[in-house]
Amino acid sequence: MGFLATIRNYIKISGVGSISRRYFIMNAFDGATTVLGIVVGAHVAEITNQLWIISAGLGAALAMGLSGFAGAYMTEEAERTVSLKDLEKSMLSDLSNSIVGEASRFASIWTGIVDGVSPTVSAVVCLVPFILSFHGMFPIHLAIQLSIVIGLSLMFLLGAFLGRISDRNVILHGVKTLCVGLVLTSILLIFKLVK
Amino acid sequence: MLRRLVLDVLKPHSPSVVELSQALSRLKGVEGVNIVTYEIDQKVENVKIIIGGNKIDFEIVKKKLEDFGAVVHSVDEVAAGTRIVEEVRTPQDRSARL
Repeated sequence: MGFLATIRNYIKISGVGSISRRYFIMNAFDGATTVLGIVVGAHVAEITNQLWIISAGLGAALAMGLSGFAGAYMTEEAERTVSLKDLEKSMLSDLSNSIVGEASRFASIWTGIVDGVSPTVSAVVCLVPFILSFHGMFPIHLAIQLSIVIGLSLMFLLGAFLGRISDRNVILHGVKTLCVGLVLTSILLIFKLVK
Repeated sequence: MLRRLVLDVLKPHSPSVVELSQALSRLKGVEGVNIVTYEIDQKVENVKIIIGGNKIDFEIVKKKLEDFGAVVHSVDEVAAGTRIVEEVRTPQDRSARL
């Protein structure tokens, strides 16, 4: 069995597909929201140095990635160990060397990876305009606008993806998650107005 | 050489009987597999596995089942040789039932 086929098999056996999908949406959303907050906050504070925003954003992305991986891996590993032990009691046999045990171990690592990578990737994607701006491709105010648009678009896409997997209105779900980003942006921009 | 094996097996719900039957059917010397689920509990299920072939290796079958987290409870029927000999009813069987 090939590498990809083995992974697909483990995902199927462990039933980790829906859990990792949930983790992916939740944490990618977290990543986009966090960087959106940093970017709009930097705009409110009138920070004009791209490197500060990139550093703050990457720091947050790395922290979310590490915390996501460690948290999800440890939680999932503990839960799956209990489930496997339960199953072993019912089977009256050791399942650690069976495909069930392997799939269980794989599921913990897989959820850790999904939980760690999804916020990091979404956060880094939102920071791309600042990286390009840092290299002189466009001014920082345009980078701020682009980053906000990318962040809000990511939120919309994640919501739309939720709508698609639940077989409901894709646009409506996209707008729902977009509203969260708009609320955050509005609150921070109000700070700028009252400052 | 084994031509038919009938096993009583306890297995977890996942991998499913579909995956298990496909894996068993790919084993060397196996020509066909039939799996019947006859009891389902909360976490496990009992299945009857009938394997037909021209050169079934019992140890390989058992190893594959163990790889899938299943346990052989009993070997209920075995047919070996160049020709499959079917079970026959005898008067003793009937009297035993009475």
